[in-house]
Amino acid sequence: MIFWKYNLMQQFMDLFAALGRAVLFLFHALLLMGAALLRPRLVIKQIYSIGVMSLLIIILSGGFVGAVLAFQGYETMVDFGATDALGIMVALALLRELGPVVGALLFAGRAGSALSAEIGLMRATEQLSAMEMMAVDPMARVIAPRLLGGMLAMPLLAAIFNVVGIYGGYLIGVEVLGVDRGSFWSQIQHGVEWGKDIGNSLIKSFIFGVVVTWIAVYNGYTAEPSPEGVGRATTLTVVLSSVIVLALDFVLTAIMFGG
Amino acid sequence: MHEPAVQLDGVSFSRGTRKIFANIDMRIATGKITAVMGPSGTGKTTLLRLIGGQLLPRQGTVRVFGQQVSTLRHAELYQLRKRMGMLFQSSALLTDLDVFENVAFPLRAHTKLTERLIRDIVLMKLEIVGLRGARRLRVEELSGGMARRVALARAIVLDPEMVLYDEPFVGLDPISMGAIVRALKTINEVLRITSVIVTHDVVEVVSIADEVFLLADGRIEGHGAPHALYDDSSPWVKQFMHGLADGPVPFHYPAPSLMNDFLEV
Ligand SMILES: Nc1ncnc2c1ncn2[C@@H]1O[C@H](COP(=O)(O)OP(=O)(O)OP(=O)(O)O)[C@@H](O)[C@H]1O
Ligand SMILES: [Mg+2]
Repeated sequence: MIFWKYNLMQQFMDLFAALGRAVLFLFHALLLMGAALLRPRLVIKQIYSIGVMSLLIIILSGGFVGAVLAFQGYETMVDFGATDALGIMVALALLRELGPVVGALLFAGRAGSALSAEIGLMRATEQLSAMEMMAVDPMARVIAPRLLGGMLAMPLLAAIFNVVGIYGGYLIGVEVLGVDRGSFWSQIQHGVEWGKDIGNSLIKSFIFGVVVTWIAVYNGYTAEPSPEGVGRATTLTVVLSSVIVLALDFVLTAIMFGG
Repeated sequence: MHEPAVQLDGVSFSRGTRKIFANIDMRIATGKITAVMGPSGTGKTTLLRLIGGQLLPRQGTVRVFGQQVSTLRHAELYQLRKRMGMLFQSSALLTDLDVFENVAFPLRAHTKLTERLIRDIVLMKLEIVGLRGARRLRVEELSGGMARRVALARAIVLDPEMVLYDEPFVGLDPISMGAIVRALKTINEVLRITSVIVTHDVVEVVSIADEVFLLADGRIEGHGAPHALYDDSSPWVKQFMHGLADGPVPFHYPAPSLMNDFLEV
């Protein structure tokens, strides 16, 4: 009994210690971000490679998600004669939830895991160590640009997801199911609010971008220097960031749309 | 008399419960070639990391160029590291850069030299290790021995005051080996660079080192001029320098007798 309690306590302590280390790591990287901005080439390279890495799956998934939304929305709305509102329904579902959330999940699976693996491998092959000995701080050189790149790439990717998704909804809703084209677009034009919908969408995806990239670079940086360690770090990144994104989405939605 | 480039006083270091160093003292002379030898796993790489400030001693002090490493602030430590080069045992080349960019990396990070000058310096260093023609190869296209030579070029590219070589001769064929041994000697003599060489190659060490430290079991088992060590009376030193299988250092990891292992079902 005592052992059990001790174990649980110990695990809680370990969890908080790990969380503390991760937070310190984030602050350290954020402090170095100013310096990273002074070398924009590194950051742009990261936005490019992180963004391009995820672009294809973002576009594909966005299209399919929008198309499915249109099918399902039409199914429900047609009974009420409300299919004119299909456009706004698809747009809001994407902007408020699916764009940021599904975008972040895909981002975690594609870019997040790749970041963890890349940095973990740099750790395992002593590249980070070598940089330190060459008086180049890997936190500034490797971590800060990637964190910044991820933070900036995620909102862009989510925005692309939204746009492609709406277009997918349009193809199915208007071209296949026969919803009126004019009302599809005009409903969107009237119904979508800049701040509440587009602004919040960007805020959400920015926060998810920070969280997923943070988890990814932290797991890579602290990976055990072995092939198994890198594998574990990669898996942990995907699992952890997926769960945290979903939980965080609940909190953010409650704050943004709950009141 | 010069101040030693590196000075260890009463240094102890452990990994978990395993003691790697117990109270060792060491002086590494400025401008000389010092070799560090010892059986695998005695802590030679650890020693280099203590000198580079990547590991801090449990007890005792490590001084490099007169500065106590463990008391330095981050920026001061990085300033100190610019004055030394390190060849990693694993080469540790940056895999997202090609050969040329790997060697140029420290120059780009720490100098404001023109592209033209960087090119000249990098090609000069690559020429020393015989890989000027391989400058556009990617890291994964290099053999182990080539990677070591690139790493060597990178370690000396800033013309540091001291270079720490962790097993510079591993994976080299006899021809490259001879060339690299001569290069190390030249680098040391012409540029007056303090060289610390970790190696197992007794013959090469005897040919170029000014002083040798033999490490074993967390202690310094012997040190002195290489020829003196050949004639050392300590059985341990004798065994190591002459590569005898029999002696105080067992070749075998502790195990039950071979017969017992075979008879066991
Ligand atoms: N990161 C680590 N964590 C725990 N123990 C370690 C670590 N690195 C090295 N050790 C242990 O420290 C001891 C010394 O290691 P070190 O790498 O310094 O040996 P070495 O003398 O360089 O050996 P070799 O000649 O094989 O390179 C070894 O017993 C090793 O098991
Ligand atoms: Mg070693």
